[in-house]
Amino acid sequence: MLVYGLINSVILALMALGFNLTFGISGVANFAYGAIYIVAGFITWTLIEKLGLPHLVSAAAAIVVIGLFGMFLYKLVLKRIRGLVISEVIATFAVALVALELLRYIGFIGFRYSLPVFIDGSVEILGAYVDIQRLLILALSILVVVAQYLFTHYTKLGLAFRGIAQDEHTSLSLGINPDRIASWSMGIGCSLGAFAAIVILPLGTITVDSGYDVLINALSVCIVGGLGSTFGVIIASFIIGYAQILTATYISSHYTIIVSLVAILVILALKPSGLLGHQKELEERV
Amino acid sequence: MLKVDKLMVFYENALAINELSIEVNRGEIVGIIGSNSAGKTTLMNTISGLLLDTRLKEQRKGGERITIFGRLSFLGQDITNVWADQRVKLGIVLSRERHPVFVESDVEENLRIASYLLPRREIKGMIAQVYRIFPALFPLRKRKAGFLSGGEQQMLAIGMSLMARPKLMLLDEPLLGLAPATQVKLIESIVTIRKEEGVTILICEQFARPVLPIIDRGYVLENGMLTLHGTGEELYDNPEVKAAYFGV
Ligand SMILES: Nc1ncnc2c1ncn2[C@@H]1O[C@H](COP(=O)(O)OP(=O)(O)OP(=O)(O)O)[C@@H](O)[C@H]1O
Ligand SMILES: [Mg+2]
Repeated sequence: MLVYGLINSVILALMALGFNLTFGISGVANFAYGAIYIVAGFITWTLIEKLGLPHLVSAAAAIVVIGLFGMFLYKLVLKRIRGLVISEVIATFAVALVALELLRYIGFIGFRYSLPVFIDGSVEILGAYVDIQRLLILALSILVVVAQYLFTHYTKLGLAFRGIAQDEHTSLSLGINPDRIASWSMGIGCSLGAFAAIVILPLGTITVDSGYDVLINALSVCIVGGLGSTFGVIIASFIIGYAQILTATYISSHYTIIVSLVAILVILALKPSGLLGHQKELEERV
Repeated sequence: MLKVDKLMVFYENALAINELSIEVNRGEIVGIIGSNSAGKTTLMNTISGLLLDTRLKEQRKGGERITIFGRLSFLGQDITNVWADQRVKLGIVLSRERHPVFVESDVEENLRIASYLLPRREIKGMIAQVYRIFPALFPLRKRKAGFLSGGEQQMLAIGMSLMARPKLMLLDEPLLGLAPATQVKLIESIVTIRKEEGVTILICEQFARPVLPIIDRGYVLENGMLTLHGTGEELYDNPEVKAAYFGV
């Protein structure tokens, strides 16, 4: 159970990182995130099953397409309503509804769709059998976190991300265009979502409804962790991840999504800025 | 170099800048002297283009109505409707009032964020140059900017503007909140920046005494209107200026 909790936590973190990145940089709460996750799964599935493309090529194509879609979504829609949080939420959620219900309409439902694992097989760790795909998820998640750190600390675009996240007008007065950065953060955030989908979905099947669950999970992890904080996301993933596994083991696996919702309510009642939200508070005070 | 022609700025129906025309020539240090709410920040934000962004954001929210009349030109080009980041590319860089730096990043990272428009191979040299101009920043380079003193943050803010390789640097009240001795040091650095980097400087201040000796020309701004214009010396010897802006 220790091991399953760990894996579940890591999966949650990986799911939430893209949502968190977009929000942390541009302040856009991308409620289309869950839909994008599922769409990425279906794109990959279609490329593999219908066009017969190799697994890795299909995965890369889906990540790129979804990233471009995110950038366009920003440029066409979000740019005009940037800063109006409610409008952003409504607009992105509308996109989510359209995408998910369209998938349902087309008929991506009823029989089972699933993505192939990267490497088959399983190994025994601490008495529990874990398949290699899960270990791969663990490794790739660490890789993503490290890559994200290197990106935001050592590349021009990444440093501009940090600038925009901290003070938009100071950044603008240094020549950094907030809309350009926000559209990149949306693109990269969506690509991360697609990446998460491609490595996590092989564990189960792709269903339209899980798009909503992914959004709820990502939201709860981000809210509990303190929106915009990567470290917060990791800690919150472990708390919620283990709580879900405990719930699934001792009560019923039907209630795992409830854990996420309860976590949101509890944290909003006790510490609205999230576990690691204090930095943001400091920033607002200065 | 920079021409501001009959500029008027309204916040809702309140007039913040009234028919203001000023000019800055290449290589000059020009001062704008004015007390609180004279319209200095409004003028700086208009020249840097930040006000266009503020106006757009207010419009979206259905908030305050900001109206701008008049023309701005820079190096012979009409920039009235050019967006702020493009103006930085043209060479107009603003160091904002109250030195807002990136508080969660350390000093060196602030400078690296500010190097966004600089070619990669020039970044190291430029950072070294900033430390040469502000030696006090060097030992602090790994400290978070949020934990710097006001004076240190001000130096950092000016250093960050330098990273964007300005042709015209706008300084909005760089002496605000600094002790007299620190003010003197900062003023010296500003002179150094003009000499070594060849940057033209437009500086807004309410403390006229330390600023007037280093400026070539100055304008006095009152309630958004130009009341006096002259060389630094003329203004320094002007009894009205003495009475209004020399007491601390
Ligand atoms: N966003 C705004 N909305 C409404 N009025 C504003 C706004 N910003 C400035 N003003 C008004 O415009 C006038 C000029 O303000 P501005 O900030 O330009 O003055 P300032 O010379 O920079 O003053 P200070 O020395 O205090 O910084 C003031 O009367 C101020 O109240
Ligand atoms: Mg001001």
